[in-house]
Amino acid sequence: MKNRWLSPIIYLICSLVGVVSLLYPFVLPQFNATGQPGQQRSADMPLMLTLLLGLALLVLVYEVQGQAMSTKIIALLGVLVAINAALRFFDVAIPIPGGFSPIFFLIILTGYVYGARFGFLMGVMTLVVSAILTGGVGPWLPSQMFTAGWVGMSAALLRPSMRNLSLEGRSGEVWILAGFSAVWGILFGIIMNLWTWPFIAGPADQYWSQGIGMLETFQRYATYYLATSLVWDIARAAGNFLLIFGFGVPALRALRRFQRRFTFTYSQPPAPVVPENLPG
Amino acid sequence: MNTRLHTWTWVAWLIVTLIALSATRNLFYLTLILFCLLVNYFILEASFQKGAYPLSLLRFGLMICGFSTVFNLLTSHNGATVIFSLPQAWPLIGGSYTLEAAVYGLTNGLVLFGILLVFTIFSQVLPVRRLIRLVPRVFFPVAVVTSIAVTFVPTTIRQFHQIKEAQLIRGQRLKSLGDWLPLIVPLLVGGLERALQLSEAMTSRGFASSSPAPGKQSSRLVMVSGLLLVTAGWILGSWSGKESLGLGLIFSGLLLLLGALWWMGRQIPHTNYTREVWQAGDGIVLLGSGVLVFVLLSSFAGLTILGSLYYSAYPVLQWPDFDPWIGSALLALCFPAYIMSLGKK
Repeated sequence: MKNRWLSPIIYLICSLVGVVSLLYPFVLPQFNATGQPGQQRSADMPLMLTLLLGLALLVLVYEVQGQAMSTKIIALLGVLVAINAALRFFDVAIPIPGGFSPIFFLIILTGYVYGARFGFLMGVMTLVVSAILTGGVGPWLPSQMFTAGWVGMSAALLRPSMRNLSLEGRSGEVWILAGFSAVWGILFGIIMNLWTWPFIAGPADQYWSQGIGMLETFQRYATYYLATSLVWDIARAAGNFLLIFGFGVPALRALRRFQRRFTFTYSQPPAPVVPENLPG
Repeated sequence: MNTRLHTWTWVAWLIVTLIALSATRNLFYLTLILFCLLVNYFILEASFQKGAYPLSLLRFGLMICGFSTVFNLLTSHNGATVIFSLPQAWPLIGGSYTLEAAVYGLTNGLVLFGILLVFTIFSQVLPVRRLIRLVPRVFFPVAVVTSIAVTFVPTTIRQFHQIKEAQLIRGQRLKSLGDWLPLIVPLLVGGLERALQLSEAMTSRGFASSSPAPGKQSSRLVMVSGLLLVTAGWILGSWSGKESLGLGLIFSGLLLLLGALWWMGRQIPHTNYTREVWQAGDGIVLLGSGVLVFVLLSSFAGLTILGSLYYSAYPVLQWPDFDPWIGSALLALCFPAYIMSLGKK
C-alpha cells in the first residue's frame, strides 16, 4: 500500500524540483532584491540548475526503470530510441529551417499508446542517445532530457479523455494529438530558453536583470521570447502538427498492433520429472 | 608508450574545466582557458570520431562571440564609455551604445564557447562504449537501452535507405509530405519487428530472469531525501544568505543520494571484460586538475589577489587584475594534449 503511494509522490517531488530549478530566473530576482549577494551568485546559477536537474532526473529515472523495465520494454525502447536518434541525426546533418525536429512525433505517440513511464523514458533516452551520437553532450542536456521526458509523460494524460469521448481510432484523436504536439512545440522552446536567458542577456530594460519583481521578470521574458524565439518555435509547432496529422493514423495503428503482440509472457518451465528407481 | 587517458581522468578534467569557466568572468583567465581548450582541440582532433557538424567549431565559436557581443551592445545601454548614440525616442534601439556593453557581451560569448568546446572535446575523444560505461551500475537497464539504441542506429539508417530505394524503383517520388508515408510506416513497423525479435532473443537467453524490480523502499526514500536536501540547501543558501548552512545541506544531500546509488549498484552483480589501466599520464592530468581546484579555492579564501576571478565591465571599463598563480594553474588544462602528444612522438 505504501509502495503504491511512494511512486507518485517521488514523481511529483522530482517534477517539482525540475520546475523550481527551471523557473529560477523568476525566483532569483526576488532574493536579490532583498539585498543578498546576487551578482556573484548568479554566475553559478546555471551550474547549480544543471546539478539539480541532473539529480532530479537520476531519482526519477531510477524510479521509472524499477517500475517499467522488462525485457520487452528494454528491447522496444532501445529500437524506438534508435529510430528517433536516426531522425535527429538527419535533423542535425541537414539544417532544417526553424526549430523543427522530428523527434517529438514518436515521443508523443509512444507516450500516448504505451503510457506515461514509457513516454518519459522515450523522451529522456532519445535526447541522451542522439547527444552521444552527434556530440551534443553539454550542460544543456539535463534540461532537454527533462523537458522531452515531460512531453512523453504528459501525452499519456490524453488517454482517459480520448476514451471517455470515444475518440480512439477516429479522426478526432489525431486532431487532438496534433494540436497537443503543436502546443508542446511552443512550450519546449519556452522552457529551454529559460536555461540561457539570464545567462546571455545584459542589463537592459527588456531583458533579465537582478532586483526586479516577479511580474516584471515575466513581462521581460515574454518580450524576449516574442522577439527572439517565437518564429523559431512556430516552425517546431507546425512541424509537429504536420507530422502527427500526416502520419499519426498509420503510426498509431502499428504501435497498437505491436502492443498486443508484445503481451507474451515468460514463465519458468516446469521442473523435469526425474523417474525414480533409475538404474545406476 | 600507451597514452590513452583513463575515462575518469577525462571526467575529472571536464569537471575542473567547467568549474574554472563558471568561477571567473576575468577576460585574461577566460582567454587562457580558451587557449588551453583550443590546444587540446587541435592536438586531439586527429583522434576524433567523425561527427555531423554543419559548421566548423571555430566558425561556430566566432558566431557565438560575435552574436553575444552585438546582441548585448544593441540591447544594453548601460556603461560610461559611449561609442555612439541614437535618439532616445527610437523604440528598442534608441540610446547610447557603450564599450562596456560590448565587452560584457563578449565575456558571456567566451564562456558559452568554452562550455561548447570542452564538451565537444570530451564527447569526441571518448568512444561511445566508454561513455556508456560511465553509466552507474544501478542504471544498468538504461545502459542496455543505450547500447541497443546506439547499435541499432546504423541499421535503422541502412533500412531507411533500403526502403527509399525500393520505393523509388516502384516509382515513388518524394514531392509532398504525404509521399513520406510509404517510407516512415515501413521504417516504424520494421523497427517494431526487430524489437520483438530482440526481446524474444533476450528472454530466451535468460535476460528476463534479471529484470529489475522496484528498488527497496528505504533506498528510494534515502534518494528522495538527498534530492530534497540539495534543493533546500540551494534555496536556503541563496534566499536567506546562510551560505555555509546551504552548502552543508547541499553536500549532505549529494552524499546521501550518490551514496545510495553506489550502495544499490553494489548489490547488482556484473562482469568486467576489459578493465582500464591507470597510467602515469593520468596522474599528471589529475595532479594538474587538483592544483587548479586548490588555487581557485584559495582565491575564494582570499589567499591570492582577492576578487581577480570576479570581473564586470560595468559601470566603467577597466583592465582586470591578473594573478600569476591562477594564470599558471590554468595552464594545467593543457595537460591532456601534452600527454596525448607524447604518444604521437
